[in-house]
Amino acid sequence: MDAFQGLLTGFQVALSLEGIMFVLIGVVVGTLIGMMPGLGPISAIAIMIPITYGMDPAPALVMMAGVYYGAVFGGSTSSILLNAPGISGTVATAFDGYPMAQQGKAGKALAIAAISSFVGGTVSVVMLMLLAPALSSVAISFGPPAYFALMFMGLTAISSLSEGSTIKAMIAAVAGFMVVTIGIDPQTGTQRFTFGNVNLFDGFDFLIIALGLFAVAEVCMLILNRKNRSLSDDQKLGSLKLSKADLKEMSGPVSRQSFVGFLLGVLPGAGATIASFISYIFEKRIAKNPEEFGKGSIKGLAAPESSNNAATSGAFVPLLSLGIPGSGTTAVMLGAFLVLGVQPGPLLMTDRPEIFWGIIASMYLGNVFLLILNLPLIPYLAKILSIPRPLLISLVIMFSLIGVYSISFNVFDLYMLLVFGALGFAMRIFSFPAPPFILAFILGGMMEQAFRQSMTISNGSLSIFVDSPLPLSLLLVALISLLVPAFLKWRSNRLAYKQR
Amino acid sequence: MLASINRKLGLLLFIVAAVYLYLSFQLPNYEYAPIDADVIPKGLGILLLVLSVFLFFSRVVETDAEKAKRNIPKKELGVIAAVFAMIFVYILLFEAIGFIITTTLFIFFCSWFLGYRAWKTNILVSLLFPIVMYAIFVFALGIVLPRGILPF
Repeated sequence: MDAFQGLLTGFQVALSLEGIMFVLIGVVVGTLIGMMPGLGPISAIAIMIPITYGMDPAPALVMMAGVYYGAVFGGSTSSILLNAPGISGTVATAFDGYPMAQQGKAGKALAIAAISSFVGGTVSVVMLMLLAPALSSVAISFGPPAYFALMFMGLTAISSLSEGSTIKAMIAAVAGFMVVTIGIDPQTGTQRFTFGNVNLFDGFDFLIIALGLFAVAEVCMLILNRKNRSLSDDQKLGSLKLSKADLKEMSGPVSRQSFVGFLLGVLPGAGATIASFISYIFEKRIAKNPEEFGKGSIKGLAAPESSNNAATSGAFVPLLSLGIPGSGTTAVMLGAFLVLGVQPGPLLMTDRPEIFWGIIASMYLGNVFLLILNLPLIPYLAKILSIPRPLLISLVIMFSLIGVYSISFNVFDLYMLLVFGALGFAMRIFSFPAPPFILAFILGGMMEQAFRQSMTISNGSLSIFVDSPLPLSLLLVALISLLVPAFLKWRSNRLAYKQR
Repeated sequence: MLASINRKLGLLLFIVAAVYLYLSFQLPNYEYAPIDADVIPKGLGILLLVLSVFLFFSRVVETDAEKAKRNIPKKELGVIAAVFAMIFVYILLFEAIGFIITTTLFIFFCSWFLGYRAWKTNILVSLLFPIVMYAIFVFALGIVLPRGILPF
């Protein structure tokens, strides 16, 4: 099937009544959850997964994708209005968005964010449409060693690109991998770390980890910040209209950063947060008047907003074509695929074209919906920010508990949700990043399987990973991605240490 | 010796890694697999052991932001512990008493405890949310939530 025909199939899914409805539900829910300060796309996706049980996979996944990019779209609203980013991908949005809102130009800032997001998202879908099929057809020949190396590279990349200490990020990744070894080993039937407890035989469901480590831990942070102000009723948004000069000023950053964001989204480990920061710095460097940045610059707002949305669609490239998530959020997306019995990867495009192309086609539609939602309707949507924090906290806890219960009907899993919630909170307090943990948890089982398959092929010799060029180069990239930043950090720390 | 937080965390993780590694060595053998079930766990245990040593001896100076994150007033930790205790009680009673009643009580008391004083809205939300969720899950999605002592 060529790409054009595939896209037609995709639009048949996306433009069916069912498709339109689920795209709309996805983007609306995503926008609303993304707006809530503290609740990120991972929580949004994890909370929505139980809704998809028993649904047809194509509309269900179209909806889940909508939740994801909707959350990134919606995250900007609270960055601009409250200076409290809805998600980490919109932290950079607040740098110039919040000052604009303080100058009484909140409406204008929201409009700039919406248009930049729309352009970033749409440009990126076009590139996703071109790149994903190409990568799929290459990846179809990858053997277990290459897959192992790819996943290993994904883990080292997310660790070295995480905020803060690389060692702590690596510890988080190893811990996530360790948790996935709990349960009956699928290849030999050996019980590992179950202590004879029947509830542990199947290991932990990823939803327990995702909701515990993110939703419940985010609730703990919300409890700490519960007295922060929510949106007051009398806050004026001002006009949403943009002048021609404004649009002209936006056009440069938006067109550049859509591409930058997409590329960073495709690469493992980066994603919306890093893309938005890099784009912000990029535009500040090349700007004629960089001193305006941070004081309500249009460029400084447009750059991260186009970039983070472009990165979001970019992240679908490895997920759809290799079946390997490159970030914490796409790891949870992969979980959503697996719950519905769909295995993303090189075979997805030929075996389930309605899903592969349906998701891509639905993104065009979703971005249009988001533009409509975020331009004329934003004053009404923003009302959700005035939900009192205590009520919000109770409801999120309930959503998490119901979500876990509805996958297993087992109360033991609810207690485990509490345990992983406590772990997630502790990780936040002690600055261990959680995305490497969830990525390792999702990739762990696949990595172990690929490792053992490789070793079976090679009769137990590790040389299979270095004999052919592809796994070797991937492992080298992984090593470099780990060593170079670690070395740079070590050197700057040593300098700082000497100066004290 | 244990002055910095990284040292304490490093030591704790070292113990975790050692226990995990010990358990990995207890795993039974399975003769016919070229790579047995214990290989990856052993590797992970050793990796964590090494990383915890690195963390212990790392001279990374904690940034002020990191320190601020860690500095949580005892009272606030108590609030979080109390919410966890409420969730614990909720789970305990969830199947016996049923979804609708426990959820109503939880939302009302948890929101009230966290400082929400508009009790009329609170009662409305804590009644409507469980009923709507129950209807969606049981009647629309076919996912059965515990009925408990209620007749429907």
